[in-house]
Formats: sequence, C-alpha cells, structure tokens
Amino acid sequence: MLDVLDVFNIDLIRAGIRLATPILLAALAGAICNRAGILNLALEGKMLMGAFLGIYITYKVGNTYLGIILALILGGLVGGIFALFYLKYEVNLILLALAFNLLALEVTVYFMRILFGNVGSWTDPSINRLPEINFLGSETNEGFLSIFNNHNLIVYISWALVVFVYIILFKTPLGRHVRSIGENQEAAETLGVNVARVQVVVLVVAGMLCALAGAFLSVGHMTMFTRNISNGRGWRGVAAAIFGFQHPVGVFFASLFFGTADALSLRIQSVSDYPPSLVKLIPQFSTIFALTIVGLRAKFLVNLARIKFRRNLDNKNK
Amino acid sequence: MAITCGLILASILLLAADKSPIEAISSIFRDAFTCSSFDRCNIFTTFALATPLMLTGLSAVVAFRSGIFSIGQEGQMMLGAIVAAYIGHWVPLPDNIHSIVISIGAIIVGGLYGWFAGWLKIRLGINEIISTIILSEIAILLLLYLVNFPMRGDRGATAYSPKIDETAMLKVFAPGSKFGTGFVIAVFAVILVYFYLWKSGKGYEQRMSGEAPRFAFFGGIKSEKAALRGMFISGGLAGLAGAIEVMGVHYRINQGFNLMNLGFDGLSVAILGLVHPLGVFIVGIFLAGIRMGAQLGLQFTLGIPRELGGTIIGFMILFVAAEKLFQKIFDIDLRSKFRRKKDA
Repeated sequence: MLDVLDVFNIDLIRAGIRLATPILLAALAGAICNRAGILNLALEGKMLMGAFLGIYITYKVGNTYLGIILALILGGLVGGIFALFYLKYEVNLILLALAFNLLALEVTVYFMRILFGNVGSWTDPSINRLPEINFLGSETNEGFLSIFNNHNLIVYISWALVVFVYIILFKTPLGRHVRSIGENQEAAETLGVNVARVQVVVLVVAGMLCALAGAFLSVGHMTMFTRNISNGRGWRGVAAAIFGFQHPVGVFFASLFFGTADALSLRIQSVSDYPPSLVKLIPQFSTIFALTIVGLRAKFLVNLARIKFRRNLDNKNK
Repeated sequence: MAITCGLILASILLLAADKSPIEAISSIFRDAFTCSSFDRCNIFTTFALATPLMLTGLSAVVAFRSGIFSIGQEGQMMLGAIVAAYIGHWVPLPDNIHSIVISIGAIIVGGLYGWFAGWLKIRLGINEIISTIILSEIAILLLLYLVNFPMRGDRGATAYSPKIDETAMLKVFAPGSKFGTGFVIAVFAVILVYFYLWKSGKGYEQRMSGEAPRFAFFGGIKSEKAALRGMFISGGLAGLAGAIEVMGVHYRINQGFNLMNLGFDGLSVAILGLVHPLGVFIVGIFLAGIRMGAQLGLQFTLGIPRELGGTIIGFMILFVAAEKLFQKIFDIDLRSKFRRKKDA
C-alpha cells in the first residue's frame, strides 16, 4: 500500500509549481481575454506553436533566451493575426480557434518531420535548458523556503506576471477599459472606449503569454519537442481561468491546484504500481470538479439574488 | 473556395519541403479515389474510413443544431468502442442479433455520455467545449486502462483486447478492404438524421432551441429538454461510430485506438459540411480521401509526412470560418466593377 508521506512531500509541491507554470501563463492569457469579452479557446494551439518555435529558434540561434524572446514576438504576431481575423473579418472566434488548434497540432509535427527527419520526438544536445536560479545559495532542497528556490526564470516571470496583470487590470485606465468591455461591450463603446484597439492589445498579449508557456514546456522544462507536447494544458488553462474567476490571484491558485493535481498523478505513478492510465485521470477529474464548483457557485449566486429580490418585493408590498 | 485555398496554402508548405505540390496533391487524389483491381481498391478503403467520419460528423451536426457546441465525439466514440469490445467478446449471442445488441448498447452509453456534457452545460452553465474536451480525455484514459488491464487479451508488446466473436463482426463487401455493412449504416444514419432534424416535430423543436432559444421558449418549447435530447442523439451517433469501428474494422480495441483522431475529424466534417447531414455525407468521403491519400500517397510513395493531410483540413476549416473574408473581398470587387460601369 502506498505511504501517504511518500507522496505528499516537498518535491510534490515543487513539481506542482513547475507543472503549474504553463497552465498559469495560459490561464492568465485566458483570463485577460475573458475580461475583454473574448472567449479564447486557441490557447492550446498557441502554446504548441510557442513550444515548437521556442525550441527551433533556440536550436538555430544557439541561445535559449534569444529563442524564447523571438518565440514571444512570433506568438504576439499570431495573436495579432487572430485579432485581424476576428475584428476585421468577423470570423467566428470559436471556429477559428478550433481550426487553429488542429493546424498547430499538425503543422508543428509536419515541420518537425521535414526539418529533422521522420521522428516522433526531437531533441538536440546543443540546446541548453534554461538554468535554474538558486538565490538561496543552498544546494539541497530542504526546508520551507526551498519550495521557491531553484526554479528557472520563466517560473519567476510567471509569478511576476500575476502581480503585473493584477495591477494592469485593476489599477490602470487600460485595465478599466478591458473590464468594461467584458462587462458590457455596447456600454463601453458608447462611453468612447476603443473596443477594437483594446481587444487587439489583449489578443497580442495573450498570444505572447501562450508562446511563453509553450517555450517553458519545450526549452524550460524539458529540451525536446514531441507531437502534442502541450497535451491539454492549454485547455486546462482555459478551465483555470474560469476556476480562478478571471482574477489574476484566483487564477494563480487555480493553476497551482491543477499543477499539483498533475504532479500528484506523476508522483503516484512513480512510487506505486497503480495503473498509470487510472492515475492520469486525477488531473482530468480535478478539472471537472473545479468547473462544477464554479457552475454551482454561479447558480447559488443567481438563486441568492432571486431570494433577495423576492424579499425586497415582499417588503415593499407590506 | 475554402478547399482551393486550403490546397494552395498546403502547396506553399510543400514547397518549403522541396517537394512538388502538384505531384503531391495529385497523388493524394490518385491514391484515395482509384481502383486498380477489385480486391485492391483504394476507394473502398476510403469509404471504410469515411464511415466513422460520417457518423461522428452527424453527431456534431445534431449537437450544434441544438445550440451546444459539443466537441466530445472522440470520448463518446471511445465508450462506444469499449462497449462493443466488451459485448462482442464476453456476451455470446447468435449471429446478427449480436451486432444489433452491440449497436444499441453503444448508442445508449455514448448517448448518456453526451447527455452528461449537455446536462453540465444546461444545469451548471459549464462551457461545453471545455467540458467535452476533458470528458474525451477521461474516456481515452479509461480505454487505455481497460485495454492494459482488465480487458487485455494476451501478453503482447502492445496491449489489445481479445478479438470479438465472429457473430458480432459486420459483413465486408469488398475483400482486401473494410468496406462493408458499416458504410450502409452510416448512409442510413445520414438519411435518418436529415429526416429527424428537418421533417419531424422533435427535430424542429431542437433546431429552434438551438437557433433562437427565446423564440423557442415563448413558443412553448421545452428548450432544455430538446437540447438534452439532441445531446443524447449526438452522443449515441458517436458511440455507434466507435462500435462500428470495432465491429467492422479492428474487431478489438487496442492501445492506439485514439490516435486516429476520428472523433475530432468528425468535428471538421461537420464544420466543412456546413452543419448539414448531406454536407456531412459528401465531406466525410472527401476528408477520408485526404487522410487516406496523405497516408498512402504522401507518406509511403513520396516520403512526405502524413500530417500534411491534417494540415490541409485545418486550413480548410480556417477558410470556412473566414467566410466573411471572402465575402468582403468579393464585395469590394463587385463594387469596383459597379463603379467602373457607372463611370462608363
């Protein structure tokens, strides 16, 4: 039988943080899009694209940071193309996203095969993984603080981005515009908010965030690219955005929850002999569970509002 | 229009790989829609591949027409396949009845799975796209688990369930391919869905609740019930697709069952077929041709990755989605012509 202490230890939390990072970045992208009234379901495809571009450019340029930055720019470009299609040509965004997801899945494998031969996954020894940053100076992973130590740059950037997105969304005029569009697009338009411009900005930023998430997968976490490397993380990002109620801090904890569920499933696979496919169900069920909670909460709030409304009516009638 | 643009963009990708696009694309069609002899007939293989695509495409059509953008065909199909493999091997039944029982079982199980996604959407307001994606993943993992452990046939390198009884197998028309009764069932399903959606009261209710929920509500249609019924039918069709895959093609479920992405292709079929059963029939065969041609013609003969087939499909969906784009371009052309006439 499985020892509980074997599973729940500091390594689990560290792995959880590591696995939560791509979800967190995608979820932040999803959250700002949702705030701006766009349901962005192409996170998965954009992530895959970012993963491929990140590793390919790193391979060509020979510098991991440069590779990631170029992948970021290209990710932003993809976001811009999305914005162009959506705003100028009024393409249905859901169809666009689904087509893009399929396209990203196939095109990345296509290019991998024509560039590097017929292989299922590709890696090259010349590619350097992002180094871990050790600011505590200790070698061992002991103690509470070490949870936060020894991650690579993107992990810390993703945390900084949580704060950054929070400040932008809630403390600046741009954030106010974004939120107003999400609440009521017509009203925002009437008040003189340039809806199109804000949505372009949001889509470009979302594209960059997803590219970063993808680059984290391909050059930050592992140094390889395989077919469908993102493996549903983009979708979990969409779910995390909803579970975190589109709020950066909420999104942070939601992603951490999903990341830990991922880590838990990996951990149980390595220390026990439960069937791997059953253990892999943990993240999936945690997602459904999270979505159900959100649904129930929304329903509860509606009912609460209804009860209050009734009570007010009754009071007036008396 | 969308098809041409898809092919053009694919040609650019081919040029990037230093391959002649014309040769490649003609080889796709040559290898998908021709017949060298009766027992080695590619077009029959294409039809066999089109069978599940048509059924999952129909499944997506029924779901979309009830206003639920369900993309969970993959998962429903997996469950249908599991049911087929289970009843096919462990429940002995006489000829013919066996496959009928399997079909009904698969329809019910797949239907319930679809219904569940619809229920989550309608009762709890969970976005159906996310929930169906995750439900699909759950079903795939369940299949992998069952194939690896409880339902494993024998100790081979890849896990698969034991072969189903011969009484449960569907008849094959053309030797050398898997073209058989399954295709007939799929065509039948196309006709049935057409009549259900456009010629029956229940179908009308469902379409109304999908297209104009308010109108349906004021018209006294129980739109939630109609949508849930739609989701049940949608799931059932996808489940049937899985069952036919097992009964007519593989005769078992194996570890790579989900790798063919038949469920997600069904989604493409529905979108490219303009969410209409007859469109699904045509596009189903067409897409099956591209997939087959990409595999046989490109991968085997020319050494081009078969992912190109999927890429072409992706581009086509992109261009169907970008319908407005064409309209705008076209519109501008018309206007300038009009102006020129005026000037003259």
